[in-house]
Amino acid sequence: MTSVLKAAPDTTGAAAPGRLRRLLPLFGSMQSYIGLVLIFVVGVATKGDIFLDQTNLTNAIGNFASRGILAVGVTLVIITAGIDLSVGSVMGFASMAAAMMLFHHDMPVWQIVPLCMLIGAAFGAVNGVGTTWLRIQSFVMTLAMLSIARGLDRQMSDNASVGTTVAGSDGKLTPNSEAFQSLGTPGHNVLVGILGPDGIYFPVLAFFIVCVVFHLVLSRSRFGRHVYAVGGNPTAARLSGINVTFVVIAVFTLSGMLAGFAGPIDAAYSASADPLAGNGYELDAIAAAVIGGASLAGGKGTIAGTFVGALILTLLDNVLGLNAVSDNWQLVIKGSIVVFAVVLQRPDLLGGLRRRITHHSRTDRLTEEK
Amino acid sequence: MTRVADGTAQAPPLLAMRAIGKSFPGVRALSGVDLTVHAGEVVALLGENGAGKSTLMNILAGVHSDYEGTIECLGEPVAIHSPRDAARHGIAMIHQELNLVPELSVAENVFLGREPTTVRGTVRRKEMESRTADLLAGLGLDLPPRRAVKNCRIAEQQLIEVAKALSLDVRLLVMDEPTSALADAEVRRLHAVIRSLTARGVGIVYISHRLEELEEIADTVTVLRDGTCTGRRAMAHTDRAELVRLMVGRPLDELYPRRAEQATSAPPRLAVRGLTVTPPDGSPAVHGVDLTVAPGEIVGIAGLMGAGRSEVLQAIFGQYGAAARGEFTVDGRRYRPRSPGHAIRSGLALVAEDRKAQSLVLGNTVRFNSSLAALGRFATPWRTVRRRRETEAVREQVTALAVRTPGLETSVGLLSGGNQQKVVLAKCLLTRPSVLLVDEPTRGIDIGAKAQIHALMDRLASQGTAILAVSSELPELIGMCDRILVLCEGRLTGEFHRDAARGPVADQEAILTAAMARRAVAAAPSGRTAGPGALGSVAAPSPVSDAAPGTASHELHPKEPGS
Repeated sequence: MTSVLKAAPDTTGAAAPGRLRRLLPLFGSMQSYIGLVLIFVVGVATKGDIFLDQTNLTNAIGNFASRGILAVGVTLVIITAGIDLSVGSVMGFASMAAAMMLFHHDMPVWQIVPLCMLIGAAFGAVNGVGTTWLRIQSFVMTLAMLSIARGLDRQMSDNASVGTTVAGSDGKLTPNSEAFQSLGTPGHNVLVGILGPDGIYFPVLAFFIVCVVFHLVLSRSRFGRHVYAVGGNPTAARLSGINVTFVVIAVFTLSGMLAGFAGPIDAAYSASADPLAGNGYELDAIAAAVIGGASLAGGKGTIAGTFVGALILTLLDNVLGLNAVSDNWQLVIKGSIVVFAVVLQRPDLLGGLRRRITHHSRTDRLTEEK
Repeated sequence: MTRVADGTAQAPPLLAMRAIGKSFPGVRALSGVDLTVHAGEVVALLGENGAGKSTLMNILAGVHSDYEGTIECLGEPVAIHSPRDAARHGIAMIHQELNLVPELSVAENVFLGREPTTVRGTVRRKEMESRTADLLAGLGLDLPPRRAVKNCRIAEQQLIEVAKALSLDVRLLVMDEPTSALADAEVRRLHAVIRSLTARGVGIVYISHRLEELEEIADTVTVLRDGTCTGRRAMAHTDRAELVRLMVGRPLDELYPRRAEQATSAPPRLAVRGLTVTPPDGSPAVHGVDLTVAPGEIVGIAGLMGAGRSEVLQAIFGQYGAAARGEFTVDGRRYRPRSPGHAIRSGLALVAEDRKAQSLVLGNTVRFNSSLAALGRFATPWRTVRRRRETEAVREQVTALAVRTPGLETSVGLLSGGNQQKVVLAKCLLTRPSVLLVDEPTRGIDIGAKAQIHALMDRLASQGTAILAVSSELPELIGMCDRILVLCEGRLTGEFHRDAARGPVADQEAILTAAMARRAVAAAPSGRTAGPGALGSVAAPSPVSDAAPGTASHELHPKEPGS
């Protein structure tokens, strides 16, 4: 604060560390990396041979991919100081819709996926309109939507699962069903030939692409700046000419759209759409965002961080599963990791703790001297 | 409390801070500062924003737990590492932003965290309320202890804080800018309370920017600049000029550098006819206001609190959308207020009244905030932002405004008030406005930054920008404006000029008279008076009683909840 900012020459000297400092937050916080590495080390140390197997790792990420995609949408909403609890239900609705389009109408996958995204976006837009025009707090609005979407899902499916492996008269999968299954099963692939004989597992690919696209949107675009400004100070955003209502509705719509995208992937992964699919996924999605450094107070968070957060939860599930830790304890450990991650991201908290300890000893010494 | 003023000469001081130092990451906030307070003494702490006053007082209040140097209370060395340590040594601090819970009652606030309880653990309400009533009576404040704090006026809330401190058996009371939100009569009452406290032997540290106030209340004054102590004087043996020199450390730039206006025959940049708006949020309404601002002209709007000054700017800036009626032209083109975004695209920019609440995203960087309103200038066809161009433009503006910041990637929340205000200005200027609306441009910033912002306004005007300024400080308006319009209850009641050849000359008394002329205005047949001719009739209060029920406080002051 002591020097007036000077023009170019002053800053060129500091360009290299400056660039590094700019790049670092791009990859999320350092602490989450340490967590990721720790889990990896534990995995290798305990079940190295199985853990490092490529099939295991892709399966693990594939299993979590739909929740990872939800986490990206939830991160957008959290940055604007909102919350989206409805993504799990909306994803469940979309997966059921996808399965029914396939089973009852034999629609091709290139129609199903965009339609599901539209359905999800519609749910999201209603969330956005409710929080802006009706001024309902997003927690309440999306809690209501969680219930509404789940109810519609169960009503539509009559509380029964719908399979996505549809056999034709010859006993083999119909072409549309086979294409649909490639959205979620290793070995089947839409991209065979482009990326090698086996292609790449679609849920993993989809998760990566969603992360890259939304990372670019948040960090490079005007819209991304507006999202951060609305979360940081909505009044200042409005007076800076930003259409706050539009940004909030857009963010909820995008979150719903991503939930709609995750639906067919989840249905293909499970080879059927369950009326309860996606139950509780919103909590994993929020956990991934929070581990990745997003603050529910708004204005803070990155997709890169959320990506790392999702990877941490994925590998944690996998490592604990491989070591036959019971589901119950997995939940306890997951919860503890969220708390731990949030504390780690607050250096002031840790510093304060350290200071308090040292000061107590100092005060003790002072009183002893007397 | 037995220590009385005449015993101070021999007795050890109530408080002695010696060679206090404190560093924040990248900033040396304080070094080698001494401060001594005797019982029954009022010590003024003076310095520009960022000089280290708040840091020093936060150390005393236990907010910053690691510091260098020693603190002695009554000659005994003490370690203050938490607010609880401070309270144990009888030190209390009243922050500029009051720390009261608005929803709780006066009594509940006074005894917050120390509620008297029965054996069963329930709160003894009656006792709490009667003790609160006693404390308030001691301060000359007649306030029901059960009233919710949010329904009390700012001045009353200030005294509730004092009552809270007294209930703690305080020996040393720190008051940070206690009068920044008070009107004159309330300031006098607060000073009376301070005198009664010192008579009881309490020591006071009084932080204020207002030099005239210190002359009235302080015994000694300690001046800080850039984290060091530049002087300690007995108030009786110093004068304002010396204090300003100690504070600023250089001959002060002229505070009001406004050059004489050039002949303005050019068509106005902003013309408003019959602006009428009733804000939906309950802010004061505006009725039929006409105004023009020519290129290179600075026009001021004066008026009492609640006269609708800010509302005029906000209506023009589109904050009330189409609810603002009237005819508007900007640069000769027809303009209809629609939204702030539309206003910015039409060539308007607004420096809002409250920079922290309305203008800045405090957790974000100088670069982010400066370019926020002007991102369209750096957009590619893909709607992404060209970072390099953005950084260059922001750096250029930040350098031109002499913003003191370690870098463009520093959070604006870490800058001092004056520098934050400059970032707000940078944000406005990056949109290249032809009309700049400024609302209280220098509120709460130090005198050096104030002079710089005035110089900037003058420079912008000389480059052809039209400036419409609202301020509660009449000297600022008179010093900076070519023309001053006076509002009263949402209507224009006067127009004054810098140049006597053009009309009545602006002076404080005439402006105040016009600002309190609402009865006369209500009686005027047109409902609106314009031009200098109307002033004579305006000055005399008329007996007509159909005027709106009185709401305006008769102090020319910005903040006054409950009015």
